[in-house]
Order: sequence, then structure tokens, then C-alpha cells
Amino acid sequence: MAEKFHTELKKLKTETLEMAHLGRFMLRTAVDALIRQDKELAASVVARKEEIHKMEVQLEEHCYHLIALNQPMAKDMRIIACTLKVITASLRIGRYGKVIANIVKKISDQPHIANLMTIPHMADLVIEMIDDSIEAYEKDSVDGISDFSARDDTIDSLRQSIFREGITYMMEDPKSITRCTNYILVARYLERCADHACKIAENVHYMNTGERIEIH
Amino acid sequence: MSESAIITTHNVNLWYNEKRALESVSMTIPKNKVTALIGPSGCGKSTLLRCFNRLNDLIDHVKITGEIKLDDENIHAPGTDVVTLRKKVGMVFQKPNPFPKSIYENVAYGPRVHGVKDKAELERIVEQSLRHAALWDEVKERLNDSALGLSGGQQQRLCIARTLAVEPEVILMDEPCSALDPIATAKIENLIDLLKQDYTVIIVTHNMQQAARVSDYTGFMYLGKLIECGKTEQIFEHPKEELTENYITGRFG
Repeated sequence: MAEKFHTELKKLKTETLEMAHLGRFMLRTAVDALIRQDKELAASVVARKEEIHKMEVQLEEHCYHLIALNQPMAKDMRIIACTLKVITASLRIGRYGKVIANIVKKISDQPHIANLMTIPHMADLVIEMIDDSIEAYEKDSVDGISDFSARDDTIDSLRQSIFREGITYMMEDPKSITRCTNYILVARYLERCADHACKIAENVHYMNTGERIEIH
Repeated sequence: MSESAIITTHNVNLWYNEKRALESVSMTIPKNKVTALIGPSGCGKSTLLRCFNRLNDLIDHVKITGEIKLDDENIHAPGTDVVTLRKKVGMVFQKPNPFPKSIYENVAYGPRVHGVKDKAELERIVEQSLRHAALWDEVKERLNDSALGLSGGQQQRLCIARTLAVEPEVILMDEPCSALDPIATAKIENLIDLLKQDYTVIIVTHNMQQAARVSDYTGFMYLGKLIECGKTEQIFEHPKEELTENYITGRFG
């Protein structure tokens, strides 16, 4: 019976990775659509909203079934606990992708201000954190996430600098208020996505070692 | 373990003839707590349990070395009275084993052996023990009926009442629920939780969920060795030893 359970657990992890990759893909594609001002591409992100929600429900149910039928303990229990957190984080990341895609639809008729400031760079760093956290979950390893605290600090600094820069442009030209407000919102969403990557990292650490850590 | 210890073992080894069944077992059993011993069949958990009231003395060709202390006194010291030791350290077995006597006589038997003759006092002990074993309300109207007419779960609680009647300090339970259905099991588990207010309970179980539910501390044994012992939450959430991890997640063998 233990063998059957462990096969199920592996399947759960594989399916959760699919969801994590979808969430990551939605965010990456939304940012690309923002950079290229591509409304069609943005619409393709919004179209996957239902799919990721469905995955969340199915995977959570899978977790609950495994708990109810197998009463997992030790690492098995920690894998399921971590998986539940990965599911939630992946949904949130995907949803931020969808929200950014909706912004693209609103602000793509006029050229970017200041080349989107540092948003593309910030997005690259956030996506790297998401990739590393997903890989840590997949490989059951804490190697790629040990520097997350410092990387999260960089993301926070970038968000603040985009905020300050945006305010400057808005003061210079009130016509830029709508666009700059949206840039500031995008930076805020990207920062939240980095926080979700940190949450995944914290839970992978718990899954792997049984010890709780907090990434600030 | 920070709680005060009622039993401590130091470097206990046990052989059945040439076969070594326990190897350098050192542990402390905290007072008024439930300690569970888990491990695969033949790992020595029942043997260790039987060391605590010297029940292994009844088996031929058993050799024990090391030290076991109850209340800071060596239970193998020359002056130790085994009957008194077993009064202090009671035991409940896998299969309920009531005497073929009435319910009342089953519980009164122990106190009588230990010299209680007064009828009123015996009645008080019988009622109190049956109440502590959560059986009184079910049997108070038929104390003179045969104990063999009770259900399996009731018989096991009667055996617990029989153990309580001689006012032990420690109760050893060797797979006390393995012959019982889930409802009777739940009653025994609830009872174990209540008993720890007044007694120290050491339980051997194959059922890890049961160990997790009822115990405060858990010891994992493998091939006669105590591999790991700690708070139950720690053992079942993040065991320190890989062997423990493999056993409780079913990755053994």
C-alpha cells in the first residue's frame, strides 16, 4: 500500500509542477505582452484563467484524498503540506499574470513612458526566482533558494524605485498619470509574485529539512 | 525530555538464549505522560515493555544486563519484591484476558491478593476502578454477571480496571486495541488520555496513527535498538533519523 501511495504522491507532484509552470507562463507572457504592447498575446493569458482555477481545485482535492486515505507522516506529510502551498502560490502568480494582461489591454494604444522604466528587468529577476523555487520543489533541493532573502530585497528596492520614478513622471506631465499608475501597479504585482516564490522556497525548505524558516 | 522521569533505563541488553533481542537501550519514561513504542515486528518493543515489570523473568534462558530504575530504584536489585514491582507496574495485554469470574471478582481479585479484606473498601475500589476505566455505567447493574459475557472492548476496559484496582504507578499496554473494533478502540484511546492524569502509560502499538493520536513521546525501535525517542510531534513530523523516517512513511524493506 505504501508503494501505491508513493506513486500517487509522485503523480501529485508532477501535476503540481504543471500548474506551477502554467502560473509562471501566464506571468511571463503577460509581461512580454506589456513590453511588446501585444493585446492579442495578453488576451491569450486571460483565456487561461479558468484552466488554472480548475487545476487548483483538482490538485487540492487530490491532496485531501491522499491525506484522508493514507494519513501521511513525516516527509510524506511535509510533501503534501508544501504542495498545498505551491498550488496556492502558483494560482496567485497566474492570476497576477492575468491582471497584468488586463492592464496591457488598457494601455497599449500609446507608446511606453521611459521604456517601461525598470519593469522588464524586474520581471526577469522575479521570473528567475519563480523558476528557482519551482526547480527546488521539483528536485527536492534547497540549493537554488538559499539566497532568496537577498534577491527579495533587490525586488523590493526595484519596486520602490519604480514608484519614485513613476511619481516624478506624473508630476512632470499629468497626462501620464494613468500609464504611470499602471506601471506602479505592475511593479507591485511583480513584487507580490516574488513574495510567492519566497513562500514556495520556505515550504520547500520545510519539506526537505522539517525546519521552518522565514524569508524576509 | 524535561519532565520528571519515572522509569530510566541505562544500557539495557537482553538475550533469549543466544539471540540478542535488546541492544544498549537507554531511555527515560516521563511521569504522567503516554510513551509509545513503535517499530516493525520483532524489533524488541514488547520485550522492552516486559522488562519494566520483569515479566521476562518468567521466560527460560533470558539474560538481561544494564540498569532499569523505577522511582530511582533498580528493579533488579537483590531485595526487589517482584510482586510489589508488578503491583506498581501493571500490564494490559493484546487480547483481553478476564478471569472466568464475575465482573466484580475480576476487579476485586488484585486488592484481595494484596490484603484488602474489608467488603466496603473492596466495593469502593471496584467502583472507583471501573469508573476510571470508563466502564462503570455500562456494568453497574450487573456486577455479578460473568466477565466473559462482556464485549471485547468492555473486557479490555475491565482488564484496565483490574490493573487500576491495585493502584499502580505505571500501566504497560501491549497492543491493547489490536483485537478491538474502531469504536472500542476509540474508547480505549480516550481512556488512555484520561489515565495519564494519574498514571504513566507505556504503550506498544503497530498502529502508527494510534501512537500519534495517544502518545506524548514516541520511541522507534529497530532490530533491538532504540533508534530515536522524542516528542511524538517531532517523531511524526520531522524525525531526525533516516530509519525512523523510512519506517513511518512505509518505505521499509
